[in-house]
Amino acid sequence: MKMKKISLALLPFITVLVMGCGSDGDDDATTSVTEVDEADDTIGTSDTDGENGNLAIFTVQLTNLTFGQPLSPAAIILHESGFNTFIDGESASLGLEQLAEAGDPAELIFEALAAVEYLGSVTIEAATPPKSVSDISTLSIPLLDVEDLRISFTTMLVDTNDAFTALNAANISNMTVGQSMTFTTPTWDAGTEANTETANTMPGPAASAAGGGGENAGFDAARDDLFDLVHFHTGVVTNANASDGGKEGLNTSVLTEADRWDNPTAQLIVTRTK
Amino acid sequence: MKLLKTVSVIALAFSSSTLMAQIHIIDIQITNLTHAQHFTPRLVIAHDESFDAFEPGVEATSALAWLGEAGVIDDAQNPASSGENFEALLGPTVTDNGSNTWQRFGGLSAPSTSENVSFNTMDKTHLSILTMLIPTNDAFAGLDSIKIPTDPGTYTYMLNAYDGGTELNDELNSMRTDIVEQGGTPLGGYGAPGVAGAGASPIPLGTGGTGVAIKVGFAEDGSTIGFNEVADGTDGPVHIHRNILGDTSLTDGSSDLQSTEHRWLNPVARVTITITAI
Repeated sequence: MKMKKISLALLPFITVLVMGCGSDGDDDATTSVTEVDEADDTIGTSDTDGENGNLAIFTVQLTNLTFGQPLSPAAIILHESGFNTFIDGESASLGLEQLAEAGDPAELIFEALAAVEYLGSVTIEAATPPKSVSDISTLSIPLLDVEDLRISFTTMLVDTNDAFTALNAANISNMTVGQSMTFTTPTWDAGTEANTETANTMPGPAASAAGGGGENAGFDAARDDLFDLVHFHTGVVTNANASDGGKEGLNTSVLTEADRWDNPTAQLIVTRTK
Repeated sequence: MKLLKTVSVIALAFSSSTLMAQIHIIDIQITNLTHAQHFTPRLVIAHDESFDAFEPGVEATSALAWLGEAGVIDDAQNPASSGENFEALLGPTVTDNGSNTWQRFGGLSAPSTSENVSFNTMDKTHLSILTMLIPTNDAFAGLDSIKIPTDPGTYTYMLNAYDGGTELNDELNSMRTDIVEQGGTPLGGYGAPGVAGAGASPIPLGTGGTGVAIKVGFAEDGSTIGFNEVADGTDGPVHIHRNILGDTSLTDGSSDLQSTEHRWLNPVARVTITITAI
């Protein structure tokens, strides 16, 4: 602890030195070598691989923050600004409807592929169980595209009618190599299916346990929600307390109190590795 | 980062890395945003990247279990926690423990109140803050390893409520004597069912609840146990708390908490950090 006093005494001296070094900060940046791929981080300059054909590489890792809602295989899309997988207050695309009702990301990815802003995508192959962290997935894009880069992901809370959690065109432009960004995401209602919470309308394990679930209980082309508009989800009512005097629960629901959630429901960590 | 690197270069030049152990006071304001949940004494930790007080998707440490179930951080609060609490995990308080320095602040913090503290980060790079919500089984508000700003200014962070995952959310009043933990231990506190801090609630808890995530008289697999016994189980790893269920009855129903009072929605706390020029 004696050293601490010495450091305090030296504090003004150090501050002066720091300020002195700050004037030639560029030198400092180049001398502090921490990333082996730092040369690739400079946009538009040539390195040993040449200017063209270089890739920026990102890893993504999803955490399911809920207690009891499995997350369907997540569609993760890199794109330029100007593209959205959904806009709240507007009607869901067919791709979003299929993802939010059935947990199927294929059509949503197909829609993204058709957009001129599309840069790359990956689907986390398996469902991400509650309270767990997914495997790491990798995406690569042309290096020059890091100047205007957005990331979106979408995944269904499968023990619901049409709830999904998503990141909507988050700006990850000009991340440096080695940099990580963490996003936590709320929960939307696709607005494409009424929230009946019944076994024959939800694809997940809660519905399966009640004799429904699966593919037949997933996508339904009919749009029978109150308004066919994407909006913030109000949470599941569940059958908890359905039989007590207060009748707070929904006695036709196959969901239990364990299927409830509060936001955020997912976390995505994006790391630029090259 | 540039600044830190420069400092470290200078420190190396003087061949003394302890030069970095500066005194660096930051002002922290913690606001309880809930309707009817008190905060237990606040644990504030400044640390480097090697330390993580909690992480969603990862099982809680015994230290987090003590904080999440009983609001206990150190030996002084409860000698029974010795060797298992955050003090054991981190080292002595208000000390540069290398990877961390930490302090416990205040007593119970009531809903809609704020508290200001000055905290010496001892130049650690990251900050975590934890406090239990009572009355709950094992809910805590957490600031998860944010990078401490270096530029002078005021920075605001919103905290979510997490479930420590070390105790089932039975929502049973621990002041009840008509029910006990399976085996006979009274309810409440660390390692026992029942919500901690039942007496601190601004409105009375009910009695006669049959249990939410676990029912009185039943094991987790549904088999029967003593009619007045509550099984003690876990529901980890750490995750975002699914909120209190509660009910509207003070004498029966599933929960001894009140759905009209004890629920919350995230965020449950606001932390404002003020950095002044060194």
